[in-house]
Amino acid sequence: MKITREEKTAYKMILPYIILIMLMIVILLVSNVITSFVNEEGTFTFNNYINCFQDEIVGQAFVNTGFWVLGSVLGQVLLGFLAAILLNQIKKGQVIYRSIILILPWATLDIVAGVMWKWMYNDMYGVINDLLMKMHLINDYIPWLASENLAMISIIIANVWKGFCLTGMFFLAGLQSIPKQLYEAAEIDGASSWKRFWHVTIPQLKPVIMTTLMLTIIWTINYFPLIYTMTGGGPGYATETVVTYIYKLGFKFLESNKAAALSNILFVVIFVIASVFLSRISKEEAA
Amino acid sequence: MTRSNRQKFNKTIVYILLTFLSVIIAFPFIWLIITSFKTYPDIYAYPLLYLPVHPTLEHFEKISSMDFQNYFLNSVIVGVGTMFLSVAIALFPAYAFSRYSFRGKSNLLVSVMLFQMFPQVVFLVPIMKFFGNVGLLDTRFGLILVYALFTTPISIVFMRTFFLSIPKSLEEAAKIDGCNFSQAFFKVIIPITIPGIAAVGIYAFLFSWSELMYSMSFLVSKSKQTIPTFLSLFVGQYQTRWGPLFAGSVLATIPPLIVFMVLQRYFIAGLVSGSVKE
Repeated sequence: MKITREEKTAYKMILPYIILIMLMIVILLVSNVITSFVNEEGTFTFNNYINCFQDEIVGQAFVNTGFWVLGSVLGQVLLGFLAAILLNQIKKGQVIYRSIILILPWATLDIVAGVMWKWMYNDMYGVINDLLMKMHLINDYIPWLASENLAMISIIIANVWKGFCLTGMFFLAGLQSIPKQLYEAAEIDGASSWKRFWHVTIPQLKPVIMTTLMLTIIWTINYFPLIYTMTGGGPGYATETVVTYIYKLGFKFLESNKAAALSNILFVVIFVIASVFLSRISKEEAA
Repeated sequence: MTRSNRQKFNKTIVYILLTFLSVIIAFPFIWLIITSFKTYPDIYAYPLLYLPVHPTLEHFEKISSMDFQNYFLNSVIVGVGTMFLSVAIALFPAYAFSRYSFRGKSNLLVSVMLFQMFPQVVFLVPIMKFFGNVGLLDTRFGLILVYALFTTPISIVFMRTFFLSIPKSLEEAAKIDGCNFSQAFFKVIIPITIPGIAAVGIYAFLFSWSELMYSMSFLVSKSKQTIPTFLSLFVGQYQTRWGPLFAGSVLATIPPLIVFMVLQRYFIAGLVSGSVKE
């Protein structure tokens, strides 16, 4: 095997980073795997994993994470798409609308977004109850974050607000890179605007949509500050996701071995999701 | 309706929808600002007061007396540090991925993304152990290094697409003119990639500005802590002190907003050119 000069230059630029980050991953992962297979005295055991599978809260946390991801990603993708399509149609005032719609929520710190929504959801003094009452949509003050049935959906709404701007930005960038000739050609062929949307816009955006979906899903699984500040996983365990539970196990209950075991389980889940997406994406790029 | 009338009508609908969306999106933030200027009795007024009837700066004075400036400065140091480090680390790998063909390219690109796949919480304990061993725990530099681990993968992937959008002929022309590699790279390529570099830099800055979990666990000494940790002090299990919390929140949001407004031209341009495929 001969290494060309081009390859040599490329490897010189890339490998230091890859080796360093791989080394970091290996060190951290090995340390995590070791922690997950020992008990507090440091002897080998499977108990941490067994404990995870027997723990009812772990099961609930996975179910909650499913709802959390489904709701947040669906909301963020749909709202981001709508915002991108609207913003792509205008020229005048684009900077102002873009700043408010796509940038303001993103520039807001995670913890600020959390406390801000928590205050708006407050049952007594919250503005959401007050506005809904004034519009006669509800008759009673609703304890949004304190009710087991409503807490999750309430945080999901806050998360959609916080996160849709990123998907919106990706979609807007994608829309702006679709060649104008494609639309013109479709119009000459007599395609209605609806048909143009389905047969030009969507297929052209497909790669962007796939990448965005993958990133948002992974980010949402891992996203922690909103839940942490708004409910802390409560009431009960109604909004406990796997990530908040790992944090609780490690830093509140001081069961770092079990936390490590649960972390590894979660990593396997994320790895499977990411591989499915990556293999589809690379297949499409190759096609 | 004639064609141009219909187009005008459509435009109007688009503007109405955008305005409606803007109001809904901006409302929580406006509410935050209003609340930060209310006195405590007004914050807890019944029925709700929609405007600060007795505007006050007491909450801003309160956080200033709690050394908010210091937390702010720490956040700036960590944010700017993360920004420069991420860009510096990502620059060459991204360039190589965009310009050269070599064996194992796609696999290496996937392995760059590997770190992004790990839940950040997974690494919290091992990273703290590791940094404790090398004496970087409770240092701002240590936190910058940790953030760079999380920001560089995305930075490389984005910057790669920016480089892809620059025609190869530019470097070839520079070479014919007698530039060596580093001259061509720093005098020709970098200047045109500024939008892309700015976009990646903003992403890294914002990541570190906002990050809560690691900064909270990593920086123990008060003199080194960052804004998110400061704000979390006001969030109690049973009681939250909304006034100072919101005053701090308003001040904390100003820097990223300014950065965005100044650089937004670059930012969107960078994202757009970055998304254009080969």
